[in-house]
Amino acid sequence: MGIRFILMVNKQGQTRLAQYYEYLTLEERRALEAEIVRKCLARNEQQCSFVEHRNYKIVYRRYASLFFLVGVDNDENELAILEFIHLLVETMDRHFGNVCELDIMFHLEKAHFMLEEMVMNGCIVETSKTNILAPIQLMDKTY
Amino acid sequence: MKEYIIRLVYVEMLGHDASFAYIHAVKMTHDDNLVLKRTGYLAVSLFLNDDHDPIILIVNTIQKDLKSDNYLVVCTALNAVCKLINDETVPAVLPQVVELLGHQKEAVRKKAIMVLHRFYQKSPSSVSHLVSNFRKRLCDNDPGVMGATLCPLFDLITIDVNTYKDLVVSFVSILKQVAERRLPKTYDYHQLPAPFIQIRLLKILALLGSGDKQSSEKMYMVVGDIFKKCDSTSNIGNAVLYECICCVSAIHPNPKLLEQAAQVISRFLKSDSHNLKYMGIDALGRLIKISPEIAEQHQLAVIDCLEDPDDTLKRKTFELLYKMTKSSNVEVIVDRMIDYMISLNDNHYKTYIASRCVELAEQFAPSNQWFIQTMNKVFEHAGDLVNVKVAHNLMKLIAEGFGEDDDTADSQLRSSAVESYLRIIGEPKLPSVFLQVICWVLGEYGTADGKYSASYITGKLCDVAEAYSNDETVKFAGQFSLRSSVHEVEA
Repeated sequence: MGIRFILMVNKQGQTRLAQYYEYLTLEERRALEAEIVRKCLARNEQQCSFVEHRNYKIVYRRYASLFFLVGVDNDENELAILEFIHLLVETMDRHFGNVCELDIMFHLEKAHFMLEEMVMNGCIVETSKTNILAPIQLMDKTY
Repeated sequence: MKEYIIRLVYVEMLGHDASFAYIHAVKMTHDDNLVLKRTGYLAVSLFLNDDHDPIILIVNTIQKDLKSDNYLVVCTALNAVCKLINDETVPAVLPQVVELLGHQKEAVRKKAIMVLHRFYQKSPSSVSHLVSNFRKRLCDNDPGVMGATLCPLFDLITIDVNTYKDLVVSFVSILKQVAERRLPKTYDYHQLPAPFIQIRLLKILALLGSGDKQSSEKMYMVVGDIFKKCDSTSNIGNAVLYECICCVSAIHPNPKLLEQAAQVISRFLKSDSHNLKYMGIDALGRLIKISPEIAEQHQLAVIDCLEDPDDTLKRKTFELLYKMTKSSNVEVIVDRMIDYMISLNDNHYKTYIASRCVELAEQFAPSNQWFIQTMNKVFEHAGDLVNVKVAHNLMKLIAEGFGEDDDTADSQLRSSAVESYLRIIGEPKLPSVFLQVICWVLGEYGTADGKYSASYITGKLCDVAEAYSNDETVKFAGQFSLRSSVHEVEA
């Protein structure tokens, strides 16, 4: 139900983070990522942030050089997912301070940990930034 | 080692296989250091899927970690269970997970519930006796655990609505508390109280109230309140309002709520933001079933969206038009749809639109003439994408007439079909399915009204057979029809 995958891809089409909630092989992932990045890059500011792809939808949002792409089932609330992306960015921002693409590249595992707290089984589980970051901050302090 | 494992995650992310190193990730999960352990689990869950063999190596470690004194280790293990356990390994960890549902730390309870959800998704029979746990956790003190429980409950209710009707009152009460800001401030997002939880609750209420007047009546007040209080200037506020509209259109109709919904839709459609227009069109489509007159009010806005260069918006608007079609407007709508279909490059979507056109034409055609012309257009431009059954239906229709015992009307129909096909047959590169229809019609009825001689028809059919000599089915159809018209000549 809900979210099928979350991707962060830069303008050159390089994937910076990929979390899939349903299994796809490496080749399938590469093909999928190339296809949807092309679709989203071709769109301009005035158009919708939603794209229909095969039998599901992609909600995307661009922050500076990075595209956040979330693949969702057709019954999801697109605006809510759009804001979920923003919540994710705000959370990373709180942790990294003015988060940018490099932060994600150099601390990939932290970014994944944050996502692990927020989404399980393709469902949004936690939306309080305090609760999301607490385990990660604890981990940083004790170890 | 941690750095290397992370780099391997990168390698796979860029599309290259790193399976030679999976075992190292597995080994890292044994480490006592939490950061290494967690990174190990992360890598394993990114590399592997629940039916890969190395998973067996992990199960022991997971079992041990689930019993750890350190709740962070337990959480890490629960995360891994969610991604890696399949229906064979469920029994190995199930008892431990059930125990963790009562753990003192809310983070653990929250993840345990999601693990149970995952077990339910993978192997429902193994947890059917534990479903009552979801009900219990709904009343958990911690809002995070409650919020998480909504996910499995949504799935359960989708499958079996009636068992959960008794929870309507609980859900309404929870939604009321959330909307009245009784949750801790940390759940606020952009000044809205726990909007994602509100949205999920609204989805659940929509399921429970659908077709059930009694249950719906319990919901009217809280939904009405949300309509009034929700901030309409932020995206997330509009997301909640949109979900309210979805709920209102699913449950037993209430005129006041429908009125509020219509107002929100007006605002969405008038907005400059394409995202809001998209949501507005979608919401309009849902409301139309209950109050069809709402479509007329927004006709202009809908037409604007249709002309918009944004493809996503156009598609959404066509979906809306499909829902709005009646005999009075079918000609206009289907004509537009066909024009759009012609402009498409994406075959997957072209097929979809073509079949929608066919459906509407079959359902609402104002005249037989129009029907045949429309079907001709669809075949001409998307013939190879359309289901072959549609072609058979068309031929059947022409052969048997439209059911009214009016022989003159039927033969007029056939004549006009013959006329149009003789015109079209000259065009280059017609789709194979279409040609078969044409050949058959010409063969059967080409000479029926005496306007064309059998030899003329035969000549045309021979031309077709020559022009499309590569296409076996067309050749066959052509020859078959030739035979019929040759019989005419002989007769």
